Amino acid sequence: MTKNEKKSLNQFLAEWKLFIYNPTTGEFLGRTAKSWGLILLFYLVFYGFLAALFSFTMWVMLQTLNDEVPKYRDQIPSPGLMVFPKPVTALEYTFSVSDPTSYAGYIADLKKFLKPYTLEEQKNLTTCPDGALFEQKGPVYVACQFPLLLLQACSGMSDPDFGYSKGKPCILVKMNRIIGLKPEGVPRIDCVLKVGYLQPLVAVQVTLAPNSAENEVTVECKIDGSPNLKSQDDRDKFLGRVMFKITAHA
Amino acid sequence: WSWGGRKGQGLNLARKNEEEKKERETEELKKEVVMDDHKLTLEELSTKYSVNLTTGHSHQRAKEILIQDGPNTLTRPPTTPEWVKFCKQLFGGFSLLLWTGAILCFVAHGIQIYFHEEPAKDNLYLSVVLAVVVVITSCLSYYQEAKSSKIMESFKDMVPQQALVIREGEKTQINVQDVGLGDLVEIKGGDRIPADLRLISARGCKVDNSSLTGESAPQSRSTDFTHENPLETRNIGFFSTDCVEGKYRTISNLDMAVAQTPLFGVSSSREPKLFLWQCMEGVCLALTTKRMARKNCLAKDLEAVETLGSTSIICLDKTGTFTQNCMTVAHMWFDLRENDESRQRKTFANNSDTWFILAQISGLCNRADFKPNQETLPSAKRATTGDASESALLKFIEQSYSSVAEMRKKNPTVAEIPFNSTNEYQMSIHFREDSSQTHVLMMKGAPERILEFCSTFLLHGQEYSMDNELKEAFQNACLELGGLGERVLGFCFLNLPSSFSKGFPFNTDEINFPMDNLCFVGLVSMIDPPQTTVPDAVNRCRSAEIKVIMVTGDHPITAKAIAKRVGIISENTETAEDIAARLRIPVSKVNPSDAKAIVHGSELKDLHSEQLDQILRNHAEIVFARTSPQQKLIIVEGCQRLGAIVAVTGDGVNNSPALKKADIVIAMGISGSDVSKQAADMILLDDNFASIVTGVEEGHLIFDNLKKSIMYTLTSNIPEIAPFLLFVVLGIPLPLGIITILCIDLGTDMVPAISLAYESAESDIMKRRPRNPKMDKLVNHRLIAMAYGQIGMIQAVAGFFTYFVIMAENGFRPIDLLGICLYWEDKFLNDLEDSYGQQWTYERRKVVEFTCQTAFCVTIVLVQWAHLIVSKTCRNSVFQQGVRYKILIFAILEETFLAAFPSYTPGTDVALRMYPLKISWWFCAIPYSILIFVYDEIRKLLIRQRPGGKASLGPAPTEWSPAP
Repeated sequence: MTKNEKKSLNQFLAEWKLFIYNPTTGEFLGRTAKSWGLILLFYLVFYGFLAALFSFTMWVMLQTLNDEVPKYRDQIPSPGLMVFPKPVTALEYTFSVSDPTSYAGYIADLKKFLKPYTLEEQKNLTTCPDGALFEQKGPVYVACQFPLLLLQACSGMSDPDFGYSKGKPCILVKMNRIIGLKPEGVPRIDCVLKVGYLQPLVAVQVTLAPNSAENEVTVECKIDGSPNLKSQDDRDKFLGRVMFKITAHA
Repeated sequence: WSWGGRKGQGLNLARKNEEEKKERETEELKKEVVMDDHKLTLEELSTKYSVNLTTGHSHQRAKEILIQDGPNTLTRPPTTPEWVKFCKQLFGGFSLLLWTGAILCFVAHGIQIYFHEEPAKDNLYLSVVLAVVVVITSCLSYYQEAKSSKIMESFKDMVPQQALVIREGEKTQINVQDVGLGDLVEIKGGDRIPADLRLISARGCKVDNSSLTGESAPQSRSTDFTHENPLETRNIGFFSTDCVEGKYRTISNLDMAVAQTPLFGVSSSREPKLFLWQCMEGVCLALTTKRMARKNCLAKDLEAVETLGSTSIICLDKTGTFTQNCMTVAHMWFDLRENDESRQRKTFANNSDTWFILAQISGLCNRADFKPNQETLPSAKRATTGDASESALLKFIEQSYSSVAEMRKKNPTVAEIPFNSTNEYQMSIHFREDSSQTHVLMMKGAPERILEFCSTFLLHGQEYSMDNELKEAFQNACLELGGLGERVLGFCFLNLPSSFSKGFPFNTDEINFPMDNLCFVGLVSMIDPPQTTVPDAVNRCRSAEIKVIMVTGDHPITAKAIAKRVGIISENTETAEDIAARLRIPVSKVNPSDAKAIVHGSELKDLHSEQLDQILRNHAEIVFARTSPQQKLIIVEGCQRLGAIVAVTGDGVNNSPALKKADIVIAMGISGSDVSKQAADMILLDDNFASIVTGVEEGHLIFDNLKKSIMYTLTSNIPEIAPFLLFVVLGIPLPLGIITILCIDLGTDMVPAISLAYESAESDIMKRRPRNPKMDKLVNHRLIAMAYGQIGMIQAVAGFFTYFVIMAENGFRPIDLLGICLYWEDKFLNDLEDSYGQQWTYERRKVVEFTCQTAFCVTIVLVQWAHLIVSKTCRNSVFQQGVRYKILIFAILEETFLAAFPSYTPGTDVALRMYPLKISWWFCAIPYSILIFVYDEIRKLLIRQRPGGKASLGPAPTEWSPAP
């Protein structure tokens, strides 16, 4: 042991050199080219086989999947709620009524979101009976029309600024899509303005007090009226509910 | 990581202890030693201890003394209190890391409470779980440690030192701690002195005080008071020193304070090692020691077992190692003819005067004695004190002549020179009441040596002067008996002239009586039949490529006969002498490489070390005969020069130089002297050579099993690391989280890895070469390649397969997962679309992710099932080996339970974020488990078919790589 420790640096380097390439045996890193080749071949075959097995099992698994409906839907039994426009940071909207650039992003986002809902885009869709479930058996599925006019002032048709320029910003509250979800009862989304404003609509238009310099309101929306759509979960703050804050500067 | 360095470390530590202790004790030592026993005359001594100097204490009195003074032992160094040991387990090494983790989690939770109103409780739960894991595992390892140290303790108790004391006139063997003040103790060469002793009679006594004074040269001891200082005077022997040769009777005086040599402390400090490996080592140690003890093989520590596993040469001292160690008289030669004891016991016995004298010498010039309290047994079965051949003579005379005790009473011994290896004879002078010549000198010993003393011989009771005819007959008889592998003793006597009257002070150190021109009586040959298991054991050693070298003090012919009997020299091989005889050429002309070597001690003396190397290297079967202790040392050194790991067996004090040099010392439990037992790393309780093979086997086994365990635990590193790598590289949601990794490392992998320590030996374990401790490491590149490159990869792929299955079945197809993790981890993106257009909130998709992690963990467990089964063997097919189902099934059930329990127990989803799995997800791993099994079986098949191949294909992780 002590002998090894006392090896000079030169000796050490020489040994390393010999290890990296040994000219007498033709060994490179302790193995000959043939040996390295064999090892490479072995691992090539081994990993090739492993990859083949993986691909095969994956292929078998993918064959069992349905193209329309995911195999299990029990992980999302109940939809979440999401708001539009999507705020940049967390769920806080900050804009200034007098400065159009501060809310231009929100308007662009809303327009983009509502584009598929325009009359031209919805031409091919069916008009569905109001207030009843529209069940289909396939194989060809059609989607229901969603008249944009339902959103009233927030439809963007009467007011291209969605109320932002007037201090009455529109926020759309959307229920997440879940395939095969059948709500029981008559679901609706209730939004509670923590400051004291209530508007039972999917589109929320908040009217801010016009004369104050800075306005801050917090809105909480919840799915209600359907017992199988949950809106209360300790962990999931977006399960059937959503809470957002609007801060408007004068 | 190897055990190699620990011996040295232990020694250093002990030395350090010694120094510290010395400092502490100097104060005590400064107190003057009050003692005057060495100045007293025997009479004064007798009165002082109220003891009769020939019969000793009565049993009653001895008992009283023992109760009054307590047992005769050194106080042991203070041991570490149990709670300190426990705390070491609780806060040492890896546990400390876990504690840090737990505390960090707890602090993180505190910070969360401070900043958020409703924090997630994950961190709190994690810290609690970590703390519980640490406490439980340290409890387990403490228990394990306690258990193995208990085994070590019991080892100490299993080899108690014995002392021969005389009580009520009888010699009794008792444990050393029962020796009391004033006891009469008899000591012979090789014994450890059982107490501080005052010598009352001594013959050629020498003691080795090196453990006390550091002086290595033996010092002679006699009954004379020679020095004021009790440490210098000749008539005192000290506790725990060794008697090297001679015999003396002493009186113990325990009230003397002498510097006590510190007991060797077993070093318990270890480098912080991975916690799991620590556990495994503990289990292996405990199991191996236990298993070996069951096979009558006591190992002092794990290192000894491990060294024995790499042993490549075993030097056997013939006596006692592979014989039954029960000498019996086989032949007698007197009146110029041979008497086969076994056939003619009745016929020859009474009709010759020579026989009468021979029997007298055998009985009187004999230090063996029957142990008391067994008069009812037939003499052949009675236990005796004293050496094997003397006991054989004693029993023989008792059976075929008359009571030896009576004979000795009539002819008390007045002087004696005990047998030793330089003299090669034993002499005693007896007083005869019923004869004109009051004293007779009797001698027995090596035949050649005895003949040197003799000038006459006895034929049918008449003395004739020695002639060549007799000498030739004697030589032939010696050769013939020796050729049968028997130990031959010569006997002679001399009637001392009547000038040596009663009470003559015979001095054996400076001889004051005639000791030449003796009268030769005859020869008695004894045999110690080899144990029936030995030939098989020798064969097994040979197939394990362990060289068995016989090193014996016997005559070359005897040695050869025994070696042939037990297979050390195999049946059809010839020695140089055999070849010479066959070809009718002188021995010197035989080509030495053709023959199996038998080397005479006297030749060995003249050999250069190169020549010795040559012999050791070129001959497969070697017997060294007539070797002296010094030569044994030379042989051991020669073997070590060739790079061999040498195991030496020894049962006598004369072996100690060689024992000290050997890599591992094996002592005999029954016949071995205390000295050799103390020096031994391993003790064969049944004195059976076959047990050494057991030890070698265990050595291989423990190495194998540790390797298997390490292989098993290393492998799961790949499926633990790969998920994180792919998470970073491919941007998929994390497939395996911290908690699940901990669950595998500290939970599911633990018991299966330990269960591998219970694995029994593979059938080919003794067909493998001894391990080269320099080249073969526990963890080598083959093991790494196998664990990481192959099995680990298969496991990782299996895990990912399960992961993708769960993701796909919940709506996230594999292709859509790539790069998703940026959105996946966004807490405010609560409508992440899957492949079917469903929109997921952050929390819901996290649940899917954690379900995947649980399933990944379960998958690793399932592929580890297969890995556990294949790990059980390194070369043999699992089908050949057979499986110890109990432990295997327990291990599998335990790991499955540990994976399933947190998954299905309600509440763990909150605490550990492990979620229940659908039954179908358990089956994802099955194809990969089968692959591991089939792949490994194919690998083993290849290894079996191409033994010793360097196999760059089909690497064998646990294969012993070939010696250089």
